[in-house]
Amino acid sequence: MANFSSVTTTTAIGVSHPLAANELAHACGADTAWVVQLVEVGIVQVTTTDAPPERWEFSSTDLQHALEARRLERDFGVNLDAAALILDLQHEVRRLKAVLRANGVD
Amino acid sequence: MEFKDYYSALGVERTASDDEVRKAYRKLARKYHPDVSKEPDAEQRMRDINEAKDVLGDKDKRAAYDALADRVARGGRPDGSFEPPPGWDTGYEFHRGPRQGPADHADFSEFFSSMFGDAERRGATRQNYRARGEDHHAAIEITLEDALNGAERELTLRAQSLDAQGHPQWENRTLSVKIPPGVHPGQFIRLAGQGMPGHGGEPAGDLYLEVRIAPHKLYRVEERDLYMTLPVTPAEAALGAQVQVPTPTGGVVEVTVPPNARGGMKLRLKGRGFAGKTPGDLYLLLEIALPPADSEAARNAYAQLAQATSSFNPRQHLGV
Repeated sequence: MANFSSVTTTTAIGVSHPLAANELAHACGADTAWVVQLVEVGIVQVTTTDAPPERWEFSSTDLQHALEARRLERDFGVNLDAAALILDLQHEVRRLKAVLRANGVD
Repeated sequence: MEFKDYYSALGVERTASDDEVRKAYRKLARKYHPDVSKEPDAEQRMRDINEAKDVLGDKDKRAAYDALADRVARGGRPDGSFEPPPGWDTGYEFHRGPRQGPADHADFSEFFSSMFGDAERRGATRQNYRARGEDHHAAIEITLEDALNGAERELTLRAQSLDAQGHPQWENRTLSVKIPPGVHPGQFIRLAGQGMPGHGGEPAGDLYLEVRIAPHKLYRVEERDLYMTLPVTPAEAALGAQVQVPTPTGGVVEVTVPPNARGGMKLRLKGRGFAGKTPGDLYLLLEIALPPADSEAARNAYAQLAQATSSFNPRQHLGV
């Protein structure tokens, strides 16, 4: 078992280093057509819907939502409309839990 | 290495049908889902059942696993430890298709990696399959200071590479990861070419690290905002004051506490949280700290305060 150290190029996914549609798809083990579906149901956000998919840019939040949607599809066989609703509810639960914590109610 | 009993992880019999495996998995995945589970070991259990489902939910992997379990049962070691016999998987092919979802295997056990990680790759090589390597996903926990100021951190990963004969092998790889300043929780850091090796000469995939912030003794993180408890004296709260407050980037700022401030009041320092399109804020939660009445002078001062505010009844709403 080799053990070596190397410095690697790192970029933080964000406004200055967004992900392209094909990169988002690859990170989720999917294809670009699937990303188009994500945009249609609103799981990920694009600023310019009239631009072609090659010009779309995605953030870390989009990657997180896409990965969660992919797992819901794979593990529970849900369709993307249901996945979008589950993700909305999940984020609302997390937001409310954060509000509770901020007010000292755990 | 420990032999993993995937059937007991999912609570099914070895004779369970595909449908029973799927149902058992879905039931457990709901039980241990991190957003709803109250179980203390939910995260580990979730990993275990995901790994078990990955194997038992795949016809070829399950058949190979069953055959291996039989061999282990016949000639197991007394201490329960386990090494896969050479060539144990001859005759089985595993192949990750392009539409099988994210390669989550980084979270899986050493047992899984040594059983199925290599074999999946060999399956891919045999089929003359050409594709960029899969991207990998992992999480990295850093301190709040490192997230705000940037840092360089070492990270050890189990990663796959090809040996001199072109056979895949697992190794512990230490990477030096540059954390750019201003990363926020939930942001992904991408390490180009550090994912799975490519198939048929194509380039390797990338590694995505999800940033998590370690608990901090002063600040609590809520998305892009930071919260800190700010203790003030009754005099500062009542009369208003200028107090000094440390900021997470290392400086000190002067903050105005307004007169008649109450405990639990929130003061906002705009834009002092995580950077971003909408930068987060730093919230100060006021907490009234009572000076101890441990001297004659302090006791007299409290007595005078009581006299001066004798009409104030903090229990009025209790009806007494």
